[in-house]
Amino acid sequence: MEDTPERTPSSESIQPPGLAREPEVTSPGDSEGCARPLDPAPKKLCGYLSKFGGKGPIKGWKCRWFFYDERKCHLYYSRTAQDANPLDSIDLSSATFDCKADAEEEGTFEIKTPSRVITLKAATRQVMLYWLQQLQMKRWEFHNSPPALPATPAAALTENGPTLHLKLEQEEAELEEFLCPVKTPPGLVGTAAALQPVPAMPSALQNISLKHLGTEIQNTMYNIRGNKQAQATAHGPPVEESSQSAEPQRGEQPLISDPSIPEKEPEDPPKSAPRSCVPSGPMQKPKRQSNTFPFFSDGLARSRTAQEKVVALEQQVLMLTKELKSQKELVIILHKALEAAQQEKRASSAYLAATEDRDRLELVRHKVRQIAELNQRVEALEQDRERLVHEAGLREQQVQALQQHVQLLMDKNQAKQQVICKLSQKLTEDLAQPQPADATNGDFLSQQERLEHLKDDMEAYRTQNRFLNSEIHQVTKIWRKVAEKEKALLTKCAYLQARNCQVESKYLAGLRRLQEAAGAEPGDFPELLQQLVQEALQWEAGEASDSVGLSPVSEYDDYGFLTVPDYEVEDLKLLAKIQALEVRSHHLLALEAVERPLRDRWATLTELMPSAELKQLLRAGVPREHRPRVWRWLVHRRVQHLHSSGCYQELLARGRACEHPAARQIELDLNRTFPTNKHFTCPTSSFPDKLRRVLLAFSWQNPTIGYCQGLNRLAAIALLVLEDEESAFWCLVAIVETILPAEYYSKTLTASQVDQRVLQDLLSEKLPRLTAHLGQRHVDLSLITFNWFLVIFADSLISDILLRVWDAFLYEGTKVVFRYALAIFKYNEEAILRLQDSLEIYQYLRFFTKTICDSRKLTSIAFNDMNPFPMKQLRQLRAAHRERLEAELRELELLKAEYLERRASRGRAVPEGCVSEDEGEGDS
Amino acid sequence: MMAIRELKVCLLGDTGVGKSSIVCRFVQDHFDHNISPTIGASFMTKTVPCGNELHKFLIWDTAGQERFHSLAPMYYRGSAAAVIVYDITKQDSFHTLKKWVKELKEHGPENIVMAIAGNKCDLSDIREVPLKDAKEYAESIGALVVETSAKNAINIEELFQGISRQIPPLDPHENGNSGGIKLGNQSLQAGRRCC
Repeated sequence: MEDTPERTPSSESIQPPGLAREPEVTSPGDSEGCARPLDPAPKKLCGYLSKFGGKGPIKGWKCRWFFYDERKCHLYYSRTAQDANPLDSIDLSSATFDCKADAEEEGTFEIKTPSRVITLKAATRQVMLYWLQQLQMKRWEFHNSPPALPATPAAALTENGPTLHLKLEQEEAELEEFLCPVKTPPGLVGTAAALQPVPAMPSALQNISLKHLGTEIQNTMYNIRGNKQAQATAHGPPVEESSQSAEPQRGEQPLISDPSIPEKEPEDPPKSAPRSCVPSGPMQKPKRQSNTFPFFSDGLARSRTAQEKVVALEQQVLMLTKELKSQKELVIILHKALEAAQQEKRASSAYLAATEDRDRLELVRHKVRQIAELNQRVEALEQDRERLVHEAGLREQQVQALQQHVQLLMDKNQAKQQVICKLSQKLTEDLAQPQPADATNGDFLSQQERLEHLKDDMEAYRTQNRFLNSEIHQVTKIWRKVAEKEKALLTKCAYLQARNCQVESKYLAGLRRLQEAAGAEPGDFPELLQQLVQEALQWEAGEASDSVGLSPVSEYDDYGFLTVPDYEVEDLKLLAKIQALEVRSHHLLALEAVERPLRDRWATLTELMPSAELKQLLRAGVPREHRPRVWRWLVHRRVQHLHSSGCYQELLARGRACEHPAARQIELDLNRTFPTNKHFTCPTSSFPDKLRRVLLAFSWQNPTIGYCQGLNRLAAIALLVLEDEESAFWCLVAIVETILPAEYYSKTLTASQVDQRVLQDLLSEKLPRLTAHLGQRHVDLSLITFNWFLVIFADSLISDILLRVWDAFLYEGTKVVFRYALAIFKYNEEAILRLQDSLEIYQYLRFFTKTICDSRKLTSIAFNDMNPFPMKQLRQLRAAHRERLEAELRELELLKAEYLERRASRGRAVPEGCVSEDEGEGDS
Repeated sequence: MMAIRELKVCLLGDTGVGKSSIVCRFVQDHFDHNISPTIGASFMTKTVPCGNELHKFLIWDTAGQERFHSLAPMYYRGSAAAVIVYDITKQDSFHTLKKWVKELKEHGPENIVMAIAGNKCDLSDIREVPLKDAKEYAESIGALVVETSAKNAINIEELFQGISRQIPPLDPHENGNSGGIKLGNQSLQAGRRCC
């Protein structure tokens, strides 16, 4: 009994530290080899890592079991591999990784998510690199996996296997460019790591997560329940059984007592028998025994090869020999003690046995003699001590001599140290100048250590650099993929919105047709129809709030015009809604397909010069962001001969000095300009004031015209695009004085009326069927088209199409207006031909221009279908019709003169007639 | 079914007197302070009952600025009636009204019904044209006269009802000329279409 407790500590102390690690390293290798054939699927990414966290006194490294979930791209962690519920998880899909070369402890890396930064530590640098590479690969897999997973996981694995395999190969090939892939560290990651005991921590309490105390309690209860079940049933799962059996033993180790050891030994044979049937038996047996019997576990582990057996046996012999020696020494000590005790016993018994005083006296003398002998021995020992002191003095002298010798050697090596310092300084420029070298041996060693540290740091930084390069490369690729997906989604969303608008537009159009047809039918039908119409109109409020978030189309367009005109009559409300939906539909469809390439082309045109390409681009329409500078260039081309510095300011000054006759009319029209545009209706807007100044300046600039109703529209359009009032002023000058013929806005509007007659001729030529149709019904189109020409469609077309017309008009001139006027009739030719009544035709012509929303189609008709369209023809027609109109005007003047003469002759007969005659003359 | 007569009506008058507002009030029963100035012309329709007939007014609203007078023949040609509007707060607009009356007398269709509307009667506190003057002038030219307020919907309906009553009915004698026949045909076609 006394020998056993002494044996265990000595055994532990005798065991070399190198041998203690070998079993842990070797046995997991065996387990991994066994696991590979059983698990053909991709290996799971899991293992123990240290996580830095906590607050206050418990802040520090905590050991956690980490495992990766491929479906969610989350990294879960719990306290142990056996815990049922994870403490928390990290979303890796939007995370980045970083390895810390300058960290205090080796193997430290970070996972950065948008919400937090998690610092983790692996056992070694190799393990850290393995984790980083695997996490990168998992993140890449997640971003490349198809969005819709199949119903069954097996099917998903089967279908995605080849694709993922190819992608993985590509990914691995790319990773090799940055960093050599790290092989799987045996025993430290993967499923096998779960069988390892939890790494030892200084304090068990510190490893508990106070942040997730509830989960900890649940896991503890689960483990206790699992432990009981394991005890109850002997045929549990192999892994669970082995893991559960490991824990009780670890828990019982502190409680080991002498009586328990004999009880365990008889149990060994029956336990090994059932475990040999389980594949994990060999894995568990060495691990369990290694804690209590390292000798036997070591022997069993090394039984694979004969050579290893011999080595193991030799080591065992050495250990046993050492143990034998220690046992012998123990026996000797015991013998001495026994002899002393026996002597003591004999003396006592002899003293007690003495019957006479004489014998007692003799015993006392004997004792005195012994005391004298002991005193002599003490003196001898003292002499020995003095001799040893003397020897120590001699040795001290030798030490001093040796130190002097070392001093000489250090002086010789000083130069070498300086060279080493310079070299180390070159290697690490960032480090400060090294301290002057001390002539001590310790300093030399510290220099060596510094060199070693610097080399390690260099290697660490190089590794970090390679990893970060691969991280940047992969994150960049992920970002590109995400951007492409977003773009595709936006395109699809725009397409779906366009389809939705079209469907709704058709529904409203159907309602409108039913509404028109319902007028002739009595009964409840009209009431139901009216209810449907009201419901359809009510959608607008809800849809408006939705559309604000979903699409860029809003209540106002880019230039401030209402997208849904506010009509009072109900049927017009429906019509306006239909128009708005059609406009939005075309806008959404054209956004990606047409506008983007155009925008790219315009972006490359930094210098504008007249050319065929520029003409084509202008006909296709200028993007909103480029329109101001393009218009300024177009206007400058036309008015540079009129333009002079300070001209506009001078005109404004003149206007302030005295009032222009047109000021009253301008003031009257300011508030009536574009009442559906927020820039002209908002009380705080600066546009009305700008418009006033522009129109007044123009009145002074061109006294012949002054102000004509319609110029307010032209100036307003210029302001909406150019925003600067002086630019808008010159735009107005360019249109009236250089593009349009003279007298377009004069007192008699002669040129405008001429153009109406020219248009009639062109319609007869280009659209003969339509012209005949209108002629039969005595429809005079000039009642409608006069407005088009006078304000260049400002009242007629929606702003997208209107400004496209102006883009071409400002560059090519007045012919563009004719092209578009003809195109508008061509665009709606079939609809007009179906109308049989002049009243219906006038009703249709009243709003039909507002319904045009396909600008590409209209532009194609204008510049392709209307060809040939030579300017020469236009000039000839204008000249001919001008002569005819002037002749008619002269004839009209003659008729007026004759009428006045007749009235004058009649007036002489009656005195009252004289008064009316004077009044008439005054008015004229 | 009642017969429908289509009557072309044009509005003339100085700029800013409220021609468009009168039309808007009559057709849509709506008033907007800032209706866009009419460029060229604007076209609206409304049907009202009159005795045994339905009168469908085809209303052409014109631009009031003086330089647009030369376009007026396009609009009053073939009209059954003309509404000449002035602003009671602006004497100048009454002078312009007289010009339009002369224009119609000289060049307008024969038998055109003329109605004078003194608009903005809600601003009588700043009146410049006495009602007496307007009545005397209207009587002298044989025209209907009424003061209106498009803003407050005063006398707008009465204005057009008066025009309806002034329109001469179709009689066998007038069917003889070509113009009458045309109008008759249109009315008959319209009636047939409604049936």
